[in-house]
Amino acid sequence: MTHGLWNLRIKVDGELIVDADPEIGYLHRGIEKICEYRRYNEVVTLMDRTCYVAGIAWEQLYIMAAEGALGLSPPARAEYIRVLSQELQRLSSHIMWYAAYVQDIGLMTPFLYGMRDRDLILDLFQSYTGARMTYEFMRVGGVRNDVPVGFTDRCRKVMDWLDQRIPEYEKVCDNSTIFLDRTKGIGILKAKECLNDGITGPMLRAAGVARDIRRDRPYSVYPELDFDIALYDEPDCYGRYRVRMEEMKQSVRIVRQVLDWLDRNPGPVLAEKVPRFVGTPSPPPGKETYVERRGYPKGRGFSSMEEPHGEAMAYIINEGAEHPYRAKLRSPVFVNIAASKDYLVGYRVSDIPAIMGSVDVCVGESDR
Amino acid sequence: MPEENPPLRPLIPGITAQFPQDVTVLPRRKDMLAVLKVTPARVAEVAKYLRDVGSFEHCALVSGVDWVDHLEVLYHLWSDSLKGYIELTVDLPSEDPHVPSVTEIWRGANWHERETWDMLGVRFDGHPDLRRVLMPEGYQFHPLRKSFELHEPEELEVKARHV
Repeated sequence: MTHGLWNLRIKVDGELIVDADPEIGYLHRGIEKICEYRRYNEVVTLMDRTCYVAGIAWEQLYIMAAEGALGLSPPARAEYIRVLSQELQRLSSHIMWYAAYVQDIGLMTPFLYGMRDRDLILDLFQSYTGARMTYEFMRVGGVRNDVPVGFTDRCRKVMDWLDQRIPEYEKVCDNSTIFLDRTKGIGILKAKECLNDGITGPMLRAAGVARDIRRDRPYSVYPELDFDIALYDEPDCYGRYRVRMEEMKQSVRIVRQVLDWLDRNPGPVLAEKVPRFVGTPSPPPGKETYVERRGYPKGRGFSSMEEPHGEAMAYIINEGAEHPYRAKLRSPVFVNIAASKDYLVGYRVSDIPAIMGSVDVCVGESDR
Repeated sequence: MPEENPPLRPLIPGITAQFPQDVTVLPRRKDMLAVLKVTPARVAEVAKYLRDVGSFEHCALVSGVDWVDHLEVLYHLWSDSLKGYIELTVDLPSEDPHVPSVTEIWRGANWHERETWDMLGVRFDGHPDLRRVLMPEGYQFHPLRKSFELHEPEELEVKARHV
Protein backbone atom coordinates (compact mmCIF):
# COMPACT_ATOMS: atom_id res chain seq x y z
CA MET A 1 0.00 0.00 0.00
CA THR A 2 1.91 3.03 -1.23
CA HIS A 3 0.79 6.57 -1.84
CA GLY A 4 2.43 9.31 -3.81
CA LEU A 5 5.11 7.38 -5.68
CA TRP A 6 3.24 6.92 -8.91
CA ASN A 7 0.98 8.86 -11.19
CA LEU A 8 -2.49 8.03 -12.44
CA ARG A 9 -3.65 10.13 -15.36
CA ILE A 10 -7.38 9.95 -15.82
CA LYS A 11 -9.79 11.40 -18.33
CA VAL A 12 -13.11 12.39 -16.82
CA ASP A 13 -16.56 13.28 -18.05
CA GLY A 14 -17.84 15.25 -15.10
CA GLU A 15 -17.25 12.88 -12.19
CA LEU A 16 -17.20 9.80 -14.38
CA ILE A 17 -13.85 8.20 -15.31
CA VAL A 18 -13.67 7.48 -19.04
CA ASP A 19 -9.99 6.63 -19.45
CA ALA A 20 -7.02 5.90 -17.21
CA ASP A 21 -3.29 5.80 -17.91
CA PRO A 22 -1.08 4.85 -14.99
CA GLU A 23 2.49 6.08 -15.08
CA ILE A 24 5.21 4.43 -13.03
CA GLY A 25 8.99 4.48 -12.91
CA TYR A 26 9.55 7.18 -10.31
CA LEU A 27 11.06 4.61 -7.95
CA HIS A 28 13.04 2.73 -10.60
CA ARG A 29 16.44 1.89 -9.17
CA GLY A 30 17.64 -0.51 -11.85
CA ILE A 31 17.72 -3.48 -9.49
CA GLU A 32 17.84 -6.00 -12.36
CA LYS A 33 20.89 -4.25 -13.78
CA ILE A 34 22.65 -3.92 -10.43
CA CYS A 35 22.12 -7.67 -9.86
CA GLU A 36 24.42 -8.37 -12.83
CA TYR A 37 27.24 -6.66 -10.95
CA ARG A 38 26.73 -8.28 -7.54
CA ARG A 39 27.74 -11.70 -6.24
CA TYR A 40 24.91 -14.11 -5.52
CA ASN A 41 24.64 -13.44 -1.81
CA GLU A 42 25.09 -9.70 -2.23
CA VAL A 43 21.93 -9.56 -4.32
CA VAL A 44 19.89 -10.49 -1.23
CA THR A 45 20.38 -6.94 0.04
CA LEU A 46 18.75 -5.58 -3.10
CA MET A 47 15.81 -7.95 -2.82
CA ASP A 48 14.76 -6.48 0.53
CA ARG A 49 14.55 -3.09 -1.11
CA THR A 50 12.55 -4.43 -4.04
CA CYS A 51 9.42 -4.63 -1.94
CA TYR A 52 9.81 -2.93 1.37
CA VAL A 53 6.63 -4.31 2.92
CA ALA A 54 7.35 -7.90 1.90
CA GLY A 55 11.14 -8.02 1.75
CA ILE A 56 11.58 -11.58 2.88
CA ALA A 57 9.18 -12.87 0.21
CA TRP A 58 11.43 -11.39 -2.47
CA GLU A 59 14.52 -12.76 -0.75
CA GLN A 60 13.12 -16.24 -0.99
CA LEU A 61 11.94 -15.74 -4.56
CA TYR A 62 15.43 -14.75 -5.64
CA ILE A 63 17.13 -17.42 -3.54
CA MET A 64 14.98 -20.19 -5.03
CA ALA A 65 15.84 -19.09 -8.56
CA ALA A 66 19.53 -18.68 -7.71
CA GLU A 67 19.63 -22.13 -6.14
CA GLY A 68 18.06 -23.53 -9.28
CA ALA A 69 20.70 -21.82 -11.41
CA LEU A 70 23.57 -23.03 -9.19
CA GLY A 71 22.14 -26.50 -8.51
CA LEU A 72 22.03 -26.24 -4.71
CA SER A 73 19.41 -27.32 -2.20
CA PRO A 74 18.96 -26.15 1.39
CA PRO A 75 18.44 -28.38 4.47
CA ALA A 76 14.87 -29.09 5.63
CA ARG A 77 15.01 -26.85 8.69
CA ALA A 78 16.02 -23.91 6.53
CA GLU A 79 12.99 -24.54 4.31
CA TYR A 80 10.69 -24.47 7.34
CA ILE A 81 12.22 -21.27 8.64
CA ARG A 82 11.74 -19.77 5.17
CA VAL A 83 8.08 -20.73 5.09
CA LEU A 84 7.64 -19.35 8.60
CA SER A 85 9.15 -16.06 7.40
CA GLN A 86 6.89 -16.08 4.34
CA GLU A 87 3.73 -16.42 6.33
CA LEU A 88 4.74 -13.89 9.00
CA GLN A 89 5.53 -11.53 6.15
CA ARG A 90 2.17 -12.17 4.53
CA LEU A 91 0.50 -11.35 7.85
CA SER A 92 2.45 -8.14 8.32
CA SER A 93 1.90 -7.09 4.70
CA HIS A 94 -1.85 -7.71 4.85
CA ILE A 95 -2.15 -5.95 8.21
CA MET A 96 -0.27 -2.99 6.77
CA TRP A 97 -2.66 -3.00 3.82
CA TYR A 98 -5.65 -3.19 6.13
CA ALA A 99 -4.43 -0.32 8.28
CA ALA A 100 -3.72 2.01 5.38
CA TYR A 101 -6.68 1.03 3.22
CA VAL A 102 -9.40 1.35 5.79
CA GLN A 103 -8.00 4.69 6.88
CA ASP A 104 -8.11 5.89 3.27
CA ILE A 105 -11.76 5.01 3.16
CA GLY A 106 -12.55 7.04 6.27
CA LEU A 107 -12.16 4.89 9.38
CA MET A 108 -9.46 5.81 11.90
CA THR A 109 -9.45 2.99 14.46
CA PRO A 110 -8.24 0.23 12.10
CA PHE A 111 -5.09 2.17 11.35
CA LEU A 112 -4.15 2.22 15.03
CA TYR A 113 -5.12 -1.43 15.50
CA GLY A 114 -3.21 -2.50 12.43
CA MET A 115 -0.01 -0.61 13.16
CA ARG A 116 0.08 -1.91 16.72
CA ASP A 117 -0.38 -5.55 15.74
CA ARG A 118 2.03 -5.33 12.83
CA ASP A 119 4.68 -4.20 15.29
CA LEU A 120 4.30 -7.48 17.18
CA ILE A 121 5.20 -9.37 14.00
CA LEU A 122 8.09 -7.03 13.26
CA ASP A 123 9.33 -7.70 16.80
CA LEU A 124 9.40 -11.39 15.95
CA PHE A 125 11.35 -10.68 12.79
CA GLN A 126 13.77 -8.56 14.73
CA SER A 127 14.36 -11.34 17.25
CA TYR A 128 15.69 -13.76 14.62
CA THR A 129 16.90 -11.63 11.70
CA GLY A 130 18.03 -8.56 13.60
CA ALA A 131 16.00 -6.19 11.44
CA ARG A 132 12.42 -5.05 11.15
CA MET A 133 12.08 -4.41 7.42
CA THR A 134 15.27 -5.10 5.47
CA TYR A 135 16.27 -8.48 6.80
CA GLU A 136 19.12 -9.81 4.62
CA PHE A 137 18.37 -13.13 6.22
CA MET A 138 18.33 -15.74 3.48
CA ARG A 139 21.41 -17.18 1.87
CA VAL A 140 21.99 -19.26 -1.22
CA GLY A 141 21.82 -22.73 0.34
CA GLY A 142 19.82 -21.95 3.47
CA VAL A 143 19.24 -19.14 5.92
CA ARG A 144 21.73 -17.08 7.89
CA ASN A 145 20.93 -18.33 11.38
CA ASP A 146 18.50 -20.44 13.36
CA VAL A 147 15.66 -18.97 15.41
CA PRO A 148 16.69 -18.07 18.99
CA VAL A 149 15.80 -20.06 22.11
CA GLY A 150 12.21 -19.46 23.18
CA PHE A 151 11.22 -18.03 19.80
CA THR A 152 8.52 -20.58 19.04
CA ASP A 153 6.66 -19.86 22.28
CA ARG A 154 6.83 -16.11 21.72
CA CYS A 155 5.58 -16.59 18.18
CA ARG A 156 2.69 -18.78 19.39
CA LYS A 157 1.64 -16.02 21.78
CA VAL A 158 1.50 -13.53 18.91
CA MET A 159 -0.53 -16.00 16.85
CA ASP A 160 -3.00 -16.44 19.74
CA TRP A 161 -3.31 -12.68 19.93
CA LEU A 162 -3.91 -12.37 16.18
CA ASP A 163 -6.55 -15.09 16.39
CA GLN A 164 -8.58 -12.73 18.54
CA ARG A 165 -7.69 -9.60 16.60
CA ILE A 166 -8.53 -10.65 13.04
CA PRO A 167 -12.26 -11.19 13.81
CA GLU A 168 -12.21 -7.80 15.47
CA TYR A 169 -10.71 -6.20 12.35
CA GLU A 170 -13.57 -7.68 10.38
CA LYS A 171 -16.16 -6.46 12.85
CA VAL A 172 -14.92 -2.88 12.59
CA CYS A 173 -15.34 -2.97 8.82
CA ASP A 174 -18.44 -5.07 8.42
CA ASN A 175 -20.39 -2.96 10.92
CA SER A 176 -19.44 0.29 9.23
CA THR A 177 -21.89 1.58 6.63
CA ILE A 178 -19.20 3.94 5.29
CA PHE A 179 -16.87 1.03 4.60
CA LEU A 180 -19.56 -1.10 2.97
CA ASP A 181 -20.88 1.75 0.83
CA ARG A 182 -17.44 2.59 -0.45
CA THR A 183 -16.30 -0.96 -1.23
CA LYS A 184 -19.32 -3.04 -2.29
CA GLY A 185 -19.89 -3.12 -6.05
CA ILE A 186 -16.92 -0.82 -6.69
CA GLY A 187 -13.94 -1.66 -8.91
CA ILE A 188 -15.44 -4.79 -10.40
CA LEU A 189 -13.17 -6.90 -12.61
CA LYS A 190 -14.68 -10.26 -13.56
CA ALA A 191 -12.72 -13.51 -13.67
CA LYS A 192 -12.44 -13.65 -17.47
CA GLU A 193 -11.05 -10.11 -17.62
CA CYS A 194 -8.67 -10.85 -14.75
CA LEU A 195 -7.22 -13.83 -16.61
CA ASN A 196 -6.83 -11.84 -19.82
CA ASP A 197 -5.14 -9.00 -17.95
CA GLY A 198 -2.75 -11.35 -16.20
CA ILE A 199 -3.99 -10.29 -12.77
CA THR A 200 -2.94 -12.52 -9.88
CA GLY A 201 -3.15 -12.71 -6.12
CA PRO A 202 -6.05 -11.59 -3.92
CA MET A 203 -7.63 -9.69 -6.83
CA LEU A 204 -7.91 -12.87 -8.87
CA ARG A 205 -9.10 -15.00 -5.97
CA ALA A 206 -11.78 -12.42 -5.13
CA ALA A 207 -13.12 -13.10 -8.64
CA GLY A 208 -13.48 -16.76 -7.72
CA VAL A 209 -10.46 -18.21 -9.55
CA ALA A 210 -8.73 -20.65 -7.19
CA ARG A 211 -5.16 -20.05 -8.32
CA ASP A 212 -2.61 -20.03 -5.55
CA ILE A 213 0.97 -20.93 -6.48
CA ARG A 214 1.50 -22.38 -3.00
CA ARG A 215 -1.05 -25.07 -3.89
CA ASP A 216 -0.86 -25.29 -7.69
CA ARG A 217 2.89 -25.43 -8.15
CA PRO A 218 4.12 -26.08 -4.62
CA TYR A 219 7.54 -24.83 -3.66
CA SER A 220 9.59 -25.22 -0.49
CA VAL A 221 7.64 -27.29 2.09
CA TYR A 222 4.12 -26.09 1.30
CA PRO A 223 2.98 -29.58 0.17
CA GLU A 224 3.43 -30.80 3.75
CA LEU A 225 1.34 -28.03 5.27
CA ASP A 226 -2.40 -27.89 5.64
CA PHE A 227 -4.19 -24.73 4.51
CA ASP A 228 -7.09 -23.55 2.36
CA ILE A 229 -7.10 -21.14 -0.54
CA ALA A 230 -8.96 -17.95 0.35
CA LEU A 231 -11.72 -17.40 -2.20
CA TYR A 232 -14.62 -15.03 -2.65
CA ASP A 233 -17.16 -14.68 -5.42
CA GLU A 234 -17.59 -10.88 -5.55
CA PRO A 235 -14.87 -9.36 -7.76
CA ASP A 236 -15.08 -5.92 -6.12
CA CYS A 237 -13.14 -4.03 -3.43
CA TYR A 238 -15.12 -5.75 -0.70
CA GLY A 239 -14.26 -9.18 -2.11
CA ARG A 240 -10.54 -8.33 -2.11
CA TYR A 241 -10.82 -7.28 1.51
CA ARG A 242 -12.54 -10.57 2.43
CA VAL A 243 -9.87 -12.60 0.63
CA ARG A 244 -7.05 -10.86 2.49
CA MET A 245 -8.78 -11.35 5.84
CA GLU A 246 -9.21 -15.07 5.13
CA GLU A 247 -5.59 -15.33 3.97
CA MET A 248 -4.42 -13.92 7.29
CA LYS A 249 -6.34 -16.63 9.15
CA GLN A 250 -4.79 -19.28 6.92
CA SER A 251 -1.33 -17.81 7.50
CA VAL A 252 -1.81 -18.10 11.26
CA ARG A 253 -2.73 -21.73 10.69
CA ILE A 254 0.40 -22.39 8.63
CA VAL A 255 2.66 -20.60 11.14
CA ARG A 256 1.37 -22.86 13.95
CA GLN A 257 2.17 -26.01 11.97
CA VAL A 258 5.65 -24.76 11.14
CA LEU A 259 6.34 -23.87 14.78
CA ASP A 260 5.39 -27.40 15.86
CA TRP A 261 7.75 -28.84 13.26
CA LEU A 262 10.60 -26.55 14.32
CA ASP A 263 10.19 -27.65 17.94
CA ARG A 264 10.52 -31.32 16.99
CA ASN A 265 13.30 -31.14 14.39
CA PRO A 266 16.58 -29.45 15.25
CA GLY A 267 19.26 -29.44 12.59
CA PRO A 268 21.51 -27.35 10.35
CA VAL A 269 20.09 -24.32 8.54
CA LEU A 270 22.76 -23.84 5.87
CA ALA A 271 23.87 -26.39 3.29
CA GLU A 272 27.39 -27.68 3.80
CA LYS A 273 28.74 -27.36 0.29
CA VAL A 274 28.04 -23.74 -0.55
CA PRO A 275 30.43 -21.79 -2.74
CA ARG A 276 31.52 -18.87 -0.64
CA PHE A 277 31.66 -16.41 -3.53
CA VAL A 278 34.43 -14.36 -2.06
CA GLY A 279 37.62 -13.30 -3.75
CA THR A 280 38.82 -10.76 -6.29
CA PRO A 281 36.35 -8.20 -7.60
CA SER A 282 34.34 -9.51 -10.51
CA PRO A 283 35.25 -8.53 -14.08
CA PRO A 284 32.39 -7.42 -16.36
CA PRO A 285 29.85 -10.16 -17.15
CA GLY A 286 30.21 -12.29 -20.25
CA LYS A 287 34.02 -12.61 -20.26
CA GLU A 288 34.89 -16.18 -21.37
CA THR A 289 38.27 -16.58 -19.67
CA TYR A 290 36.78 -15.69 -16.33
CA VAL A 291 33.90 -18.12 -16.78
CA GLU A 292 36.25 -21.01 -17.51
CA ARG A 293 38.58 -20.21 -14.66
CA ARG A 294 35.84 -20.36 -12.03
CA GLY A 295 33.88 -23.22 -13.51
CA TYR A 296 30.64 -23.00 -11.54
CA PRO A 297 27.95 -24.99 -13.32
CA LYS A 298 26.08 -23.01 -15.96
CA GLY A 299 22.34 -23.02 -15.69
CA ARG A 300 19.05 -21.22 -15.60
CA GLY A 301 16.97 -20.93 -12.48
CA PHE A 302 13.31 -20.13 -12.40
CA SER A 303 11.05 -19.65 -9.42
CA SER A 304 7.54 -18.47 -8.92
CA MET A 305 5.76 -17.95 -5.65
CA GLU A 306 2.65 -16.53 -4.05
CA GLU A 307 3.84 -13.23 -2.70
CA PRO A 308 1.36 -11.19 -0.56
CA HIS A 309 0.41 -9.19 -3.69
CA GLY A 310 0.19 -12.07 -6.14
CA GLU A 311 2.31 -14.23 -8.38
CA ALA A 312 5.96 -13.17 -8.34
CA MET A 313 8.59 -14.78 -10.55
CA ALA A 314 12.35 -14.68 -10.79
CA TYR A 315 14.47 -15.88 -13.67
CA ILE A 316 18.22 -16.11 -13.11
CA ILE A 317 20.76 -17.03 -15.76
CA ASN A 318 24.09 -18.24 -14.45
CA GLU A 319 26.92 -18.23 -16.95
CA GLY A 320 29.48 -19.65 -14.54
CA ALA A 321 30.55 -16.39 -12.98
CA GLU A 322 30.15 -15.26 -9.38
CA HIS A 323 27.27 -13.01 -10.29
CA PRO A 324 24.07 -13.60 -12.25
CA TYR A 325 24.33 -12.99 -15.99
CA ARG A 326 20.73 -11.87 -16.02
CA ALA A 327 18.17 -11.54 -13.24
CA LYS A 328 14.58 -10.90 -14.23
CA LEU A 329 11.88 -10.27 -11.66
CA ARG A 330 8.17 -10.35 -12.30
CA SER A 331 6.21 -8.12 -10.00
CA PRO A 332 2.50 -8.87 -9.57
CA VAL A 333 1.80 -5.21 -8.76
CA PHE A 334 3.32 -4.12 -12.09
CA VAL A 335 0.70 -6.14 -13.96
CA ASN A 336 -2.16 -5.27 -11.62
CA ILE A 337 -1.53 -1.53 -12.07
CA ALA A 338 -1.18 -1.98 -15.83
CA ALA A 339 -4.77 -3.19 -16.00
CA SER A 340 -6.15 -0.30 -13.94
CA LYS A 341 -8.03 1.13 -16.92
CA ASP A 342 -10.20 -1.98 -16.95
CA TYR A 343 -11.40 -1.62 -13.37
CA LEU A 344 -11.50 2.21 -13.11
CA VAL A 345 -13.51 3.18 -16.17
CA GLY A 346 -17.16 3.69 -15.30
CA TYR A 347 -16.60 4.65 -11.67
CA ARG A 348 -16.41 8.09 -10.06
CA VAL A 349 -13.34 10.13 -9.21
CA SER A 350 -14.08 9.72 -5.50
CA ASP A 351 -13.90 5.91 -5.92
CA ILE A 352 -10.24 5.99 -6.96
CA PRO A 353 -8.76 5.73 -3.43
CA ALA A 354 -11.03 2.80 -2.65
CA ILE A 355 -10.30 0.98 -5.92
CA MET A 356 -6.56 1.57 -6.18
CA GLY A 357 -6.18 0.84 -2.46
CA SER A 358 -7.83 -2.54 -2.93
CA VAL A 359 -5.11 -3.45 -5.46
CA ASP A 360 -2.48 -3.12 -2.70
CA VAL A 361 0.05 -1.14 -4.68
CA CYS A 362 3.68 -1.44 -3.64
CA VAL A 363 5.62 0.82 -6.00
CA GLY A 364 8.94 -0.54 -4.80
CA GLU A 365 8.29 -3.84 -6.49
CA SER A 366 6.49 -2.55 -9.56
CA ASP A 367 9.34 -0.18 -10.45
CA ARG A 368 12.22 -2.34 -9.15
CA MET B 1 15.93 -36.62 -27.91
CA PRO B 2 14.11 -34.13 -25.67
CA GLU B 3 12.50 -35.72 -22.66
CA GLU B 4 8.75 -36.37 -22.97
CA ASN B 5 6.35 -34.79 -20.53
CA PRO B 6 3.10 -36.73 -19.93
CA PRO B 7 0.63 -33.84 -19.44
CA LEU B 8 1.84 -32.18 -22.63
CA ARG B 9 1.88 -35.35 -24.78
CA PRO B 10 -1.02 -34.38 -27.08
CA LEU B 11 0.02 -30.74 -27.28
CA ILE B 12 3.69 -30.87 -28.21
CA PRO B 13 3.31 -33.19 -31.26
CA GLY B 14 0.30 -31.08 -32.26
CA ILE B 15 2.27 -27.87 -32.20
CA THR B 16 5.27 -29.31 -34.03
CA ALA B 17 2.90 -30.70 -36.69
CA GLN B 18 1.16 -27.33 -37.01
CA PHE B 19 4.40 -25.32 -37.21
CA PRO B 20 7.04 -27.80 -38.46
CA GLN B 21 9.47 -25.14 -39.67
CA ASP B 22 9.05 -22.72 -36.82
CA VAL B 23 8.95 -24.62 -33.53
CA THR B 24 11.83 -26.65 -32.08
CA VAL B 25 11.42 -28.55 -28.82
CA LEU B 26 14.43 -27.86 -26.59
CA PRO B 27 15.59 -30.16 -23.75
CA ARG B 28 13.21 -29.84 -20.86
CA ARG B 29 14.26 -28.24 -17.55
CA LYS B 30 12.70 -29.51 -14.36
CA ASP B 31 11.04 -26.18 -13.56
CA MET B 32 9.21 -25.96 -16.93
CA LEU B 33 6.60 -28.16 -18.61
CA ALA B 34 8.41 -27.60 -21.89
CA VAL B 35 10.83 -25.22 -23.55
CA LEU B 36 10.05 -24.32 -27.16
CA LYS B 37 12.19 -22.32 -29.53
CA VAL B 38 10.12 -20.32 -31.98
CA THR B 39 11.14 -18.34 -35.05
CA PRO B 40 10.40 -14.62 -34.60
CA ALA B 41 7.88 -14.31 -37.44
CA ARG B 42 5.44 -16.91 -36.06
CA VAL B 43 5.47 -16.03 -32.34
CA ALA B 44 1.97 -14.59 -32.28
CA GLU B 45 0.47 -17.58 -34.10
CA VAL B 46 2.22 -20.08 -31.82
CA ALA B 47 1.07 -18.09 -28.79
CA LYS B 48 -2.51 -18.06 -30.03
CA TYR B 49 -2.36 -21.81 -30.62
CA LEU B 50 -1.04 -22.37 -27.10
CA ARG B 51 -3.80 -20.23 -25.59
CA ASP B 52 -6.68 -21.74 -27.57
CA VAL B 53 -5.61 -25.38 -27.90
CA GLY B 54 -3.14 -25.72 -25.04
CA SER B 55 -5.18 -23.79 -22.44
CA PHE B 56 -2.29 -21.49 -21.51
CA GLU B 57 -4.62 -18.67 -20.51
CA HIS B 58 -2.18 -16.62 -18.44
CA CYS B 59 0.79 -14.82 -19.95
CA ALA B 60 2.90 -14.51 -16.84
CA LEU B 61 6.01 -12.84 -18.17
CA VAL B 62 7.64 -11.47 -21.30
CA SER B 63 11.31 -10.68 -20.81
CA GLY B 64 14.58 -10.61 -22.65
CA VAL B 65 18.27 -11.35 -22.37
CA ASP B 66 21.16 -9.67 -24.16
CA TRP B 67 23.68 -12.31 -25.29
CA VAL B 68 25.93 -9.64 -26.85
CA ASP B 69 25.93 -11.31 -30.30
CA HIS B 70 22.14 -11.70 -30.30
CA LEU B 71 19.06 -11.04 -28.16
CA GLU B 72 16.71 -13.59 -26.70
CA VAL B 73 13.07 -12.85 -25.86
CA LEU B 74 11.41 -15.18 -23.37
CA TYR B 75 7.70 -15.84 -22.84
CA HIS B 76 6.44 -17.67 -19.77
CA LEU B 77 2.89 -18.93 -20.01
CA TRP B 78 0.86 -20.55 -17.25
CA SER B 79 -1.91 -23.07 -17.58
CA ASP B 80 -4.45 -23.54 -14.80
CA SER B 81 -5.36 -27.04 -15.95
CA LEU B 82 -1.78 -28.29 -16.41
CA LYS B 83 -0.54 -26.37 -13.33
CA GLY B 84 2.73 -25.33 -14.79
CA TYR B 85 4.69 -22.96 -16.99
CA ILE B 86 5.85 -23.31 -20.56
CA GLU B 87 8.77 -21.30 -21.87
CA LEU B 88 8.99 -19.90 -25.39
CA THR B 89 12.31 -18.55 -26.48
CA VAL B 90 12.93 -16.42 -29.54
CA ASP B 91 16.34 -15.42 -30.90
CA LEU B 92 16.62 -11.98 -32.44
CA PRO B 93 19.48 -10.02 -34.01
CA SER B 94 21.07 -7.35 -31.82
CA GLU B 95 20.59 -4.68 -34.46
CA ASP B 96 16.98 -3.54 -34.97
CA PRO B 97 15.21 -6.50 -33.33
CA HIS B 98 11.54 -6.97 -34.24
CA VAL B 99 9.03 -9.51 -32.98
CA PRO B 100 5.20 -9.61 -33.31
CA SER B 101 3.31 -8.44 -30.23
CA VAL B 102 1.13 -10.86 -28.25
CA THR B 103 -0.92 -8.08 -26.64
CA GLU B 104 -3.88 -9.01 -28.86
CA ILE B 105 -3.82 -12.50 -27.36
CA TRP B 106 -3.24 -11.57 -23.72
CA ARG B 107 -3.82 -7.97 -22.68
CA GLY B 108 -1.60 -8.68 -19.70
CA ALA B 109 1.45 -8.80 -21.98
CA ASN B 110 1.10 -5.08 -22.70
CA TRP B 111 3.37 -3.68 -20.01
CA HIS B 112 5.79 -6.59 -20.14
CA GLU B 113 6.42 -5.80 -23.80
CA ARG B 114 6.75 -2.11 -23.02
CA GLU B 115 9.32 -2.95 -20.37
CA THR B 116 11.28 -5.22 -22.73
CA TRP B 117 11.33 -2.40 -25.30
CA ASP B 118 12.40 0.04 -22.60
CA MET B 119 15.16 -2.13 -21.18
CA LEU B 120 16.47 -4.02 -24.23
CA GLY B 121 15.22 -2.12 -27.26
CA VAL B 122 13.14 -4.92 -28.75
CA ARG B 123 10.39 -3.60 -31.07
CA PHE B 124 7.06 -5.40 -30.66
CA ASP B 125 5.22 -5.00 -33.97
CA GLY B 126 1.50 -4.38 -33.57
CA HIS B 127 1.73 -3.25 -29.96
CA PRO B 128 -0.95 -0.60 -29.37
CA ASP B 129 1.15 1.72 -27.22
CA LEU B 130 4.87 0.94 -27.26
CA ARG B 131 6.17 3.70 -24.98
CA ARG B 132 8.85 3.43 -22.33
CA VAL B 133 7.46 2.42 -18.96
CA LEU B 134 10.19 2.69 -16.32
CA MET B 135 12.71 5.06 -17.90
CA PRO B 136 11.61 8.56 -18.92
CA GLU B 137 10.38 9.18 -22.46
CA GLY B 138 13.25 10.54 -24.54
CA TYR B 139 15.91 8.53 -22.70
CA GLN B 140 18.56 7.41 -25.17
CA PHE B 141 19.67 4.05 -23.82
CA HIS B 142 18.30 0.58 -23.25
CA PRO B 143 19.90 -0.09 -19.88
CA LEU B 144 19.80 -3.89 -19.78
CA ARG B 145 21.93 -4.15 -22.91
CA LYS B 146 25.39 -5.39 -21.95
CA SER B 147 26.89 -2.42 -23.82
CA PHE B 148 25.37 -0.17 -21.13
CA GLU B 149 28.17 -0.25 -18.58
CA LEU B 150 27.41 0.28 -14.94
CA HIS B 151 30.22 2.07 -13.21
CA GLU B 152 31.27 0.57 -9.94
CA PRO B 153 31.43 3.02 -7.03
CA GLU B 154 35.20 2.70 -6.62
CA GLU B 155 35.81 3.68 -10.26
CA LEU B 156 33.67 6.76 -9.80
CA GLU B 157 35.61 7.66 -6.67
CA VAL B 158 38.93 7.40 -8.51
CA LYS B 159 37.65 9.63 -11.28
CA ALA B 160 36.37 12.17 -8.81
CA ARG B 161 39.77 12.35 -7.13
CA HIS B 162 41.51 13.25 -10.40
CA VAL B 163 39.08 16.05 -11.25
